[in-house]
Amino acid sequence: MAIPFQCVRVCRPDPHDQSSWLLLAASGPRIYSSHSSGGTSVWSSQKSSESAEPVQADESQEPPGKKVKLSKQAEEPPNVSKLLVTSNSQHLVAVTAEDKCLRVFRLDLTGRLEPLSQRSMPKRPCAVTMIENDATILCADKFGDVYALPLLPSPTDADDIAVAAQEKETSASFVPTATPLTVHSGRNRKALEDQLKQKLQPKTKEPLKFKHDLLLGHVSMLTEILYAEVEGEKTGAKPRTYIFTADRDEHIRISRGPPQSHIIEGFCQGHREFVSKLCLSRSGDLISGGGDDDLIVWDWLSCRVLERISIKQPVLDFLKAHPQHAGSPQESEGDLRVAVSGIWAAPSTFSRDSVLVTCEGVPALFHFIIDGRKKVSSLQQTLPLTGNPLDLTLLESGPITEFIVVSIDQTRAPGSATMLRQKDDVPSRMQAFSLGSSGGWNLTSMLDVTLERLNSQAQADALLGREAEVVNPETPGKQSPVQDILYGIENLRKRAGAED
Amino acid sequence: MPGAPKKRQKREEYKESLSKDDQNGALPKKKFYRQRAHANPFSDHSLTYPKSPSDMDWASYYPAYAAKSDESEATVTQAPTEEDASRQITRPVEIADIGCGYGGLLFALAPKFPDTLLVGMEIRISVCEFVQEKIRALRHQSLATNTYQNVACIRANTMKFLPNFFAKAQLSKIFLCFPDPHFKARKHKARIVSSTLNSEYAYVLRPGGIVYTITDVEDLHKWMVEHFEAHPSFERVGEVEQEGDMCVEVMRTETEEGKKVGRNGGRKFVACFRRVEDPPWP
Repeated sequence: MAIPFQCVRVCRPDPHDQSSWLLLAASGPRIYSSHSSGGTSVWSSQKSSESAEPVQADESQEPPGKKVKLSKQAEEPPNVSKLLVTSNSQHLVAVTAEDKCLRVFRLDLTGRLEPLSQRSMPKRPCAVTMIENDATILCADKFGDVYALPLLPSPTDADDIAVAAQEKETSASFVPTATPLTVHSGRNRKALEDQLKQKLQPKTKEPLKFKHDLLLGHVSMLTEILYAEVEGEKTGAKPRTYIFTADRDEHIRISRGPPQSHIIEGFCQGHREFVSKLCLSRSGDLISGGGDDDLIVWDWLSCRVLERISIKQPVLDFLKAHPQHAGSPQESEGDLRVAVSGIWAAPSTFSRDSVLVTCEGVPALFHFIIDGRKKVSSLQQTLPLTGNPLDLTLLESGPITEFIVVSIDQTRAPGSATMLRQKDDVPSRMQAFSLGSSGGWNLTSMLDVTLERLNSQAQADALLGREAEVVNPETPGKQSPVQDILYGIENLRKRAGAED
Repeated sequence: MPGAPKKRQKREEYKESLSKDDQNGALPKKKFYRQRAHANPFSDHSLTYPKSPSDMDWASYYPAYAAKSDESEATVTQAPTEEDASRQITRPVEIADIGCGYGGLLFALAPKFPDTLLVGMEIRISVCEFVQEKIRALRHQSLATNTYQNVACIRANTMKFLPNFFAKAQLSKIFLCFPDPHFKARKHKARIVSSTLNSEYAYVLRPGGIVYTITDVEDLHKWMVEHFEAHPSFERVGEVEQEGDMCVEVMRTETEEGKKVGRNGGRKFVACFRRVEDPPWP
């Protein structure tokens, strides 16, 4: 089965040519880039050489069986889970999921990706953002920690760290930390005796060989990280910086930016389920969403809820109006669970904030006008899509947004995270919209050439078997790595009856 | 496992009998509440916790301190809505014993701080029940003097949900007594003291507030000292001041674990850290 574009990003790598742009799209382990002038290139995280390919080639689009999955898994190339373009559009940061790698590329003017570095993090990165004028990457991981890494690692750092690590290793000889006074049960005493006899240090994990600073941490899986700058209280003072982190345990934490990231300024408390997405509106209010029925608009400097906006209602209304979709509520409406998969700040509409919201497995784009301070936020528009949205990107020229591109799941039935489509119903992998004068978004055909070029190339690669999502036909939707990247948000929900 | 159902049955029988002769204020028996000494702080558990400190129903834990004005209203509007579910108390909780175990420290400190509210937080459900039962019994025994009205115990995973219970700078003292040492390096993230968690203790502590730590594991003591000293929001309390603090003596001698270590002739390592003011900000 071909993999849809799980991430899309659009940017302007050429600062002198404001009419050109570059579209980046990740499909499984591959990143496609397509320039507005016509050039296309592909980069793949494929580590093993091409000789490993034929095994997979004969499967084409047919889902291979379980046996293949087991034997192939070890050498399967890691899938891209996040794409992040620096604000100056000079670099691309890609996260690959299985090998927990942060990969940095230089974007050249024609859109080719030049790999610069590859750093394997201790835990899987869940969210990344750039700070300090693109000089530093903030990486939030599955273990709850946030690390700061320089965008471009300097080779001298690496040497220093390697030397320091080595010194530490040689100097430390193994001494058990327990003593006969601290262990009390017979079996533990015996274990301690054995440890004392053993002279060698048990193998510990190899330390990271690159500069990385632990800034803060939650005891929960992180889902999102944002960074904001606010003018200082005194005039002429340096701006105040903030880091926002959201986790699976309903928390939104606001910390000071480095070097004072150890200071927690506050928590935005109000969610009852996991928080999956955060977004700062154009005017600076925080909007959060996750497994709750509502989005919350925050006055985050005082950690106050400004307004709650139902996201469940628009989803319900949309599904009722489109009963052909797989996810339409069959039983009682109360059972419907929504999981917000994306919130993006869109240009202001009628000089009010506006955001675009997507929910996992709901083939629509919800356009809200946000006015939390007056508590009059409202749904402006519901845009039906040809499939489940996976990612969205906005191209801006100055204050005016030119268009948005939404990546569409062309493999699964609209409205379902697991059911596959009919063979004859395969839409394009992307849809583009532009902002109309009435403040609403309309489908646009001005990008069709570029989108189609990328689409057909990805499709051709899929046919060649270069990239394929391995699905076990007996248990479709069982967490394959790709499934987890595409539809991992509902899984953040806590299950009732966990152990005590 | 043979015997397990029998054990459960005995416990149920015991707890039932306890509720029957509720009035005699009998202290609970520890043997019916024992639970494995370790809990996984990363697990979801089926915990209840408030959405935010203002949602916490403290009044049901400290009935003697319940805000009176609220009461009449509460009886009128029978089913409180989500927004005003909490019944407030007349003063905030100021002392937290994180991982209070069987509550030895709480019961020793309660009479020493009669005007301060203390809370014990324990992740193990049975152990927490024991402390709650003991509080109920002690309150009953000392109706005349009204002692022990200022202690409570809640079941919580503080590593995840501390800021759900306490607002910024609410606490004046935090106790971390004989925490799980998590000997394996792989498990160090599960330790109650870490550079990232210390930021949360700093958040709920007011400047000048103190974190008390005690352990019988020298390596863990070094770890805690290292991590608190490295954290810019804390400074170590000097030896003289530390030994002059009556809480330190209580912590050494009154905690259940402290007594056990004493019986076994183990060593006890104490370290206290003061929350310093936050540095200025642009």
